[in-house]
Amino acid sequence: MPNQALAEQGTVMNPLIPVVGKIIKIVEETPDVKTFHVTTENGKPFTPLPGQLAMVSMLPIGEAMFSITSQGENHLEFAIKKVGMLTEALHEAAVGQQIGIRGPYGNGFPIEICKGKDLLFIGGGIGLAPVRSLINYCIANRQDFGKLHVIYGARSPQDLCFKDDLFENWPKVMDMQVDVTVDKGDENWSGNVGFVPAFLEQINPSPEGKVAITCGPPIMIKFVLQSLAKMGYTPEQIITTLEMRMKCGIGKCGRCNIGSCYVCLDGPVFTLAQLNQMPNEY
Amino acid sequence: MLGVKKNNLNNFLEKISSGYQLFVPAEVEGTTRFTAYQAGVQLALERNTVVPPKELFFPQTEHMYCYKAHKQEAAVEEIAAACEPRVLFGARPCDVQSLAVLDDVFLTKGYEDLFYKNKRENTLVIALGCRKPEPTCFCSSLGVDPSGTELADVMAWDAGEALVFEAKSDKGKKFLEENSAQLEDLAGVTQPTAECTMVLQVEGLTAKLQKMFEHSLWNEICKKCLNCGTCTYLCPTCHCFDIQGKTRGESGVKFRCWDSCMYQEYTLMAGGHNPRPSKKERVRQRFLHKLQYIPERYGKWGCVGCGRCVVKCPVNVDITRIIKQIGEVSLDA
Ligand SMILES: Cc1cc2nc3c(=O)[nH]c(=O)nc-3n(C[C@H](O)[C@H](O)[C@H](O)COP(=O)(O)OP(=O)(O)OC[C@H]3O[C@@H](n4cnc5c(N)ncnc54)[C@H](O)[C@@H]3O)c2cc1C
Ligand code: SF4
Ligand code: SF4
Ligand code: FES
Repeated sequence: MPNQALAEQGTVMNPLIPVVGKIIKIVEETPDVKTFHVTTENGKPFTPLPGQLAMVSMLPIGEAMFSITSQGENHLEFAIKKVGMLTEALHEAAVGQQIGIRGPYGNGFPIEICKGKDLLFIGGGIGLAPVRSLINYCIANRQDFGKLHVIYGARSPQDLCFKDDLFENWPKVMDMQVDVTVDKGDENWSGNVGFVPAFLEQINPSPEGKVAITCGPPIMIKFVLQSLAKMGYTPEQIITTLEMRMKCGIGKCGRCNIGSCYVCLDGPVFTLAQLNQMPNEY
Repeated sequence: MLGVKKNNLNNFLEKISSGYQLFVPAEVEGTTRFTAYQAGVQLALERNTVVPPKELFFPQTEHMYCYKAHKQEAAVEEIAAACEPRVLFGARPCDVQSLAVLDDVFLTKGYEDLFYKNKRENTLVIALGCRKPEPTCFCSSLGVDPSGTELADVMAWDAGEALVFEAKSDKGKKFLEENSAQLEDLAGVTQPTAECTMVLQVEGLTAKLQKMFEHSLWNEICKKCLNCGTCTYLCPTCHCFDIQGKTRGESGVKFRCWDSCMYQEYTLMAGGHNPRPSKKERVRQRFLHKLQYIPERYGKWGCVGCGRCVVKCPVNVDITRIIKQIGEVSLDA
């Protein structure tokens, strides 16, 4: 059926053409990360699954792929780090700015694998953005999941994203634990100081009945995976998300393949067991 | 068989072009490619075209939408992907097979590319059987029959003094009926057959490549490649594209254009990380894409054996030699 995936989630007919959306709220998370709330004339642009992506564009500057970090009744949220032309332009934009948006793309998190299990979320820096969509989903469907445990780190206290969630909202949720670390503290920081992988090993959450979901800078992921293996997690129990350069988002432009897999379509979410089957080229 | 005498061919094409937009293989500015039929066009029917017909379905640059941006406001207007009914005349069996590869890419796996789909659906394909495959042709090793293809709407053959036709689809049958006034029954004329002289062993190639990602062969193969991209632009199955914009003042147009995995920029990410940082990874990607990844994903070869890259590579990186080299690799060593 033509473009069924898109149609079911309520979006436009030609998957390469954006609709016009509008920034309705901007939250400054850190000196270089802002969260943008985006809506369209007809309300929410579409209804993504946790972990799905969208192409966001500032006309005429450019277009790039971002995780949809959360959604509300009428809007989608993107946490965007300033790294280049497009992201700088977005950081300069004010509420009311119209932008282009198309999606949703990608597979999203495997909810079925997570259901009924305890979930361990391990994030670093902006890497909490994709994971947050799943965390919020679990909170909204609390009875479907076991214990929720977030281990999150950033370079410094001021680089922590989603501070309201980390310190206010999430700790209040039933059976939910949040542990935060920073690479380097400051005079006001009384929490843990140290890298995420070491902090993880220190807390040492048991792999029993658990699924671990990790996302962050490549170097953090690399060491987190080693720590998880040491702690007895199997590759089937570990879920992560990948980033590749993307243009089309729908598996046509050829840009984002790893072997015969297209990250924009078959990913960005993979279990470690799946990644182990793929060529090491990411 | 039903056919057209060669001295009548121009009349025949003229007639078709009054009902359809007709594309024919022709000499154009020092090369050969498919071009819109018009009086005086220099038909090139002897050998396959240098430029494949892919550009009729997936143009080198293609406008997608217009936009306006003024202060905080933005507007997007789709450029309709509409297409008049067309006839592609004279595509060789390998290039018709390449359309099957492009169909898989652009029309399956959940999303349809409407720009491609509109052109594809509105184009009737008349394939032309090869009489004498070139020394660089190896389509028969990859499951293509140079004498003819079932994937076209109409099959045509050069039978010496005449071109003869056979319908291969309902659409093709209707087309021949529509044009029956132009066709005569050429008693005794039969379709010629042809075979590639080059034969390659490809059995088990994909399975073998699955074990060769880290093999030292790629270090060797990549050495002389210039990463010029010629091979990818001339390949009838290469489909990678970039999305770019042209802006004038407050408005502009977004278009897509061919891109190539041979370029370093292609996979370069924010922060400077590049999963394919050197020639080795890029050359490996190209050959694995054709011979392993497309077969894994779509169940057919990503190379149709047309030999264009073999002929046009400035430093003679030769996919047929590489297929042989892969065959000679012993994996136990
Ligand atoms: C699946 C996925 C999810 C992502 N989620 C987020 C997110 O939630 N938050 C966030 O801040 N960022 C996210 N990104 C990264 C984001 O796409 C890039 O930061 C963005 O493209 C940079 O664009 P720019 O125009 O500001 O930079 P540019 O000025 O275009 O480019 C700076 C550098 O980025 C490279 N680049 C261009 N496009 C991409 C791309 N799509 N991916 C990686 N590098 C690129 C360029 O080659 C250049 O080297 C995600 C990327 C992917 C693929
Ligand atoms: S045409 Fe030859 S030199 Fe140019 S990129 Fe292709 S293989 Fe390399
Ligand atoms: S890889 Fe070379 S021989 Fe194969 S289809 Fe492409 S251009 Fe033709
Ligand atoms: S972004 Fe085009 S194929 Fe994945």
